[in-house]
Amino acid sequence: MTQTVNNNRNSLGRRGRGVVGDRTFLIVSLIAGVLVLAILALILLTTLREAWPAFRYSGTDFVTSPTWVPNDPDGDGPAKAQFGALAFIYGTVIVSIIALLFAVPISIGIALFLTELAPLRLRTPVVTVIDLLAAIPSVVFGLWGIIVVGPRLVPIYDWFHDVLGDVPVLGSVFGKPIASGRSFMTAGLIVAIMIVPIITSITREIFNTVPTEDKQAAFALGATRWEMIKGAVFPHSFGGMVGAVMLGMGRAMGETIAVALTMGAAVQIVPNVFASGNTLPAVIAQNWGDPGSELGRSALIACGVVLFGITILVNYGARIIVRRAEVRMKGAAV
Amino acid sequence: MTTFAPSAPARESVPDSLRRASLSRRRRLTDVVARSLIWLSLAVAVVPLGLVTYYVIAKGVHVMSWEFLTERIPRQAQTAGGGIGPAIIGTVVVTSVAALIAIPLGVLGAIYLNEYGRQSPLARTIRTMADVMTGVPSIMMGLFIFIAFVLLVGEKSGFAGSLALACLMLPVVIRTSEEMLRLVPDELRQASLALGARKWKTIVSVVLPAAISGITSGALLAIARAAGETAPILLVVGLVYRANWSLFGENTALPVQIYRNAQEPFETAVDRAWGAALTLVAIVLFTTLIGRFLANRFAIKER
Amino acid sequence: MNRNVLTRRSILVGVALATLAAAGCASKEPTTTPSGAANEFASLSGAVKASGASFPNAYYQKAIDEFLKVADNADVTYNSVGSGTGKKEFGQGLTDFAGSDSTVKDTDGVASGSFYYIPTVAAPITVSYNLSGVDSLKLSGTTVGSIFGRKITKWNDPAIVADNPGVTLPDKAITVVHRSDGSGTTNNFTKFLVAAGGPGWTLGSGDSVAWAADTQGGDKNTGVAQLVKQGDGAVGYVDFADATASGLKFASIKNKDGQFVAPSLDGATAALAGAEVKDDLTYNPINAAGAATYPITAPTYLLLKTTYTDAAKAKLVKGFVRWLLTDGQSFAASVNFAKLPADLQQKALSQLNKVQG
Repeated sequence: MTQTVNNNRNSLGRRGRGVVGDRTFLIVSLIAGVLVLAILALILLTTLREAWPAFRYSGTDFVTSPTWVPNDPDGDGPAKAQFGALAFIYGTVIVSIIALLFAVPISIGIALFLTELAPLRLRTPVVTVIDLLAAIPSVVFGLWGIIVVGPRLVPIYDWFHDVLGDVPVLGSVFGKPIASGRSFMTAGLIVAIMIVPIITSITREIFNTVPTEDKQAAFALGATRWEMIKGAVFPHSFGGMVGAVMLGMGRAMGETIAVALTMGAAVQIVPNVFASGNTLPAVIAQNWGDPGSELGRSALIACGVVLFGITILVNYGARIIVRRAEVRMKGAAV
Repeated sequence: MTTFAPSAPARESVPDSLRRASLSRRRRLTDVVARSLIWLSLAVAVVPLGLVTYYVIAKGVHVMSWEFLTERIPRQAQTAGGGIGPAIIGTVVVTSVAALIAIPLGVLGAIYLNEYGRQSPLARTIRTMADVMTGVPSIMMGLFIFIAFVLLVGEKSGFAGSLALACLMLPVVIRTSEEMLRLVPDELRQASLALGARKWKTIVSVVLPAAISGITSGALLAIARAAGETAPILLVVGLVYRANWSLFGENTALPVQIYRNAQEPFETAVDRAWGAALTLVAIVLFTTLIGRFLANRFAIKER
Repeated sequence: MNRNVLTRRSILVGVALATLAAAGCASKEPTTTPSGAANEFASLSGAVKASGASFPNAYYQKAIDEFLKVADNADVTYNSVGSGTGKKEFGQGLTDFAGSDSTVKDTDGVASGSFYYIPTVAAPITVSYNLSGVDSLKLSGTTVGSIFGRKITKWNDPAIVADNPGVTLPDKAITVVHRSDGSGTTNNFTKFLVAAGGPGWTLGSGDSVAWAADTQGGDKNTGVAQLVKQGDGAVGYVDFADATASGLKFASIKNKDGQFVAPSLDGATAALAGAEVKDDLTYNPINAAGAATYPITAPTYLLLKTTYTDAAKAKLVKGFVRWLLTDGQSFAASVNFAKLPADLQQKALSQLNKVQG
């Protein structure tokens, strides 16, 4: 007859010595897990409560008006403070679009490289390089952007402006560059570098789920490698790629410090990507030291609420899309 | 057309229509162009990393010295000399306390997700929300802790910074730890249970040790990310020029010093920013590389 | 264990202890021998915190450094977070005194009657510019108003040419740089623009204003200085201390009497002398009368509580501010701030004596 470690039959049942330990451990770990939900809910509640004065003060103007003057000037300026964050919402969207325009093709290229083209020896170094890129803090990118990249890009911007300045629509997009180089475009480029790692890693996972049989079938039919990618990899991965792009967009929208440094801090809605602007998180970081008044601080927190709402929606949608794509590929065992 | 003789060299048995030469020029060209673009995108991604590293090292090395790492921060940005000692201390203090808060909680949460909750609706919600939370901008954590803690307590402090960083680290630690726990083979758990151990004892004595290297590597990566965060520290930790080893009272940290000095017109201040950037990048890269090394060396391989 | 190892280890321990002792001694502040008059400050102890305007920050930091050399048992911290936050923290009791460039309004969170204004220093706000090939620039008030109001967008505009006979101005776009954060410097500069900026300036005055499109914001005075330095064709308003330290070029501004005066400490002192001082010691040197006045001179004050409940803190605060108004004034010029004219200094000292505690 086999001997168990503990001869007390009760200890294997529900009323044994260790039940209290089991139950406590379960509760403790449950609390730790639920903490995630609690923190998210608390973030929403506390910021909403603090932001409410500003929302009430500005009404819908908060998201529709581009005028942002936080103080009540004692001169003969605007009679009262105005909080319209439209310029920041615009800036957030434009910077994200520029960043995605550059980052998505590069990320897809790298992901394809890693899954299709790379010789085995090159795979690890490339993955390491991408990981290192992800590890560099955003403030270092901002420092590099503001001191090195911004001024060096101005001649390039000038060239674009000279060449395209007279073309009807493009001319206003590629307008006169600001002298310091701090603009939508510079911020977008820096953010693009920063979101490449996350888009690459998710896209790579998605590409890895393409069944080998499909790829081999394509080759068997005489496809070149590119045709195989177009015909077997992309169709399968489309949903996942969309999700990855959305995740990158969420990250781009939330990028604070690199943008605060490289964007030039101007409150304006202009089509010129070489002009300065500002984004929701950057304006919070820049003005937090001196918001001017209680209402001013509340308005900054309100910017945070708007940002939170946008990024949660984008991230949540992205995760659902990615998960659905993964489930479809791998089966339900995710 | 050749016959299919098993001993004949493969090339001879390939029909003409399958040779590369029979591809239309357009298809061949597209293939070459596509491949080149893919290689190009790799180069385009590697170049910024190389440039940033080059500049950080080249400009940071000038200022680097033992004095730089230990002396006080000058009150006036244009003063030459001085150092970033207080910022290093601040980063170390704030980040380690954040790790002490986030890592145990994260591992416990992962244990719940993988050992108890599994696919229950609550566990799935937590899993999705943890993923969503990794995407929340770090400045939101700063705002949250400012409202929920700094306003209550009445002053900015290093501890508030630790709380904010812990909020940032928590979802990352939960998700990576859960992945590691999932890799532990079920047989280990079943064997332990069969020997009469309770479930919690199984987890603590069998599962955790098996996954520990993966969990450690995930924790190190979370720490590396937290050490580099600027926005939450900017909002809740304040500013000092002298080293502050305690959690109470205002403090400063490397990323904040870089942010401030980057916008100064004085050469000495910008140099200090590069030096601080070099220090920060060294710390972060070092931690990341150790984390990766642990993951590769000791990880439980996928079945 | 043989004796050699033991000896080696004890030597190592001895060396380590000696190094620690030496390091411990070396890290103490070197104290200078205090002069006779400064001994009254040597007895001060404790720590006080202050925060507020960034405009006078360079002076306050230098003053604190010098003060701590004679009062080495005390500690004073001044955090430059901006006038608005400084006033708020002062009103909440988080700080013991505050620095502010602007007067206290109802919305600032400081109860009226609970504090005194103490003028400390003043400094010019420069109109700094970066234009290759142009080393001296004169601007009248209306021209400045039109430049910052974006009515004039090129450097060779007729208005600027009229102000600068004989100087060739390039056909370059003007990049206007302002503050991205709310600031007392903006407040004072825009007050000047309202007073003397003419029809080109329509945006009023305040800690921030609704700047026109195609302008740029920098964080704090130093951020503006950095932007001006980086961009050819840029112009911005920067306080004199930071602008001088950054090596920027300044424009000479036409004052009320019609003279073009370059920003200087003498011009600032003249503006203070020519300004009207109210009973609570607030004064307005902007666009003051006088031939040698620099018209964009900004005042700055310290706000002290009327009564301090903590006697030790009261002693330290009063001691520090007294030092600031007497010995401390001599350091102002070294960091490019203008000291107070004699009668304003006397008024400030008698105001300080009213502080209880």
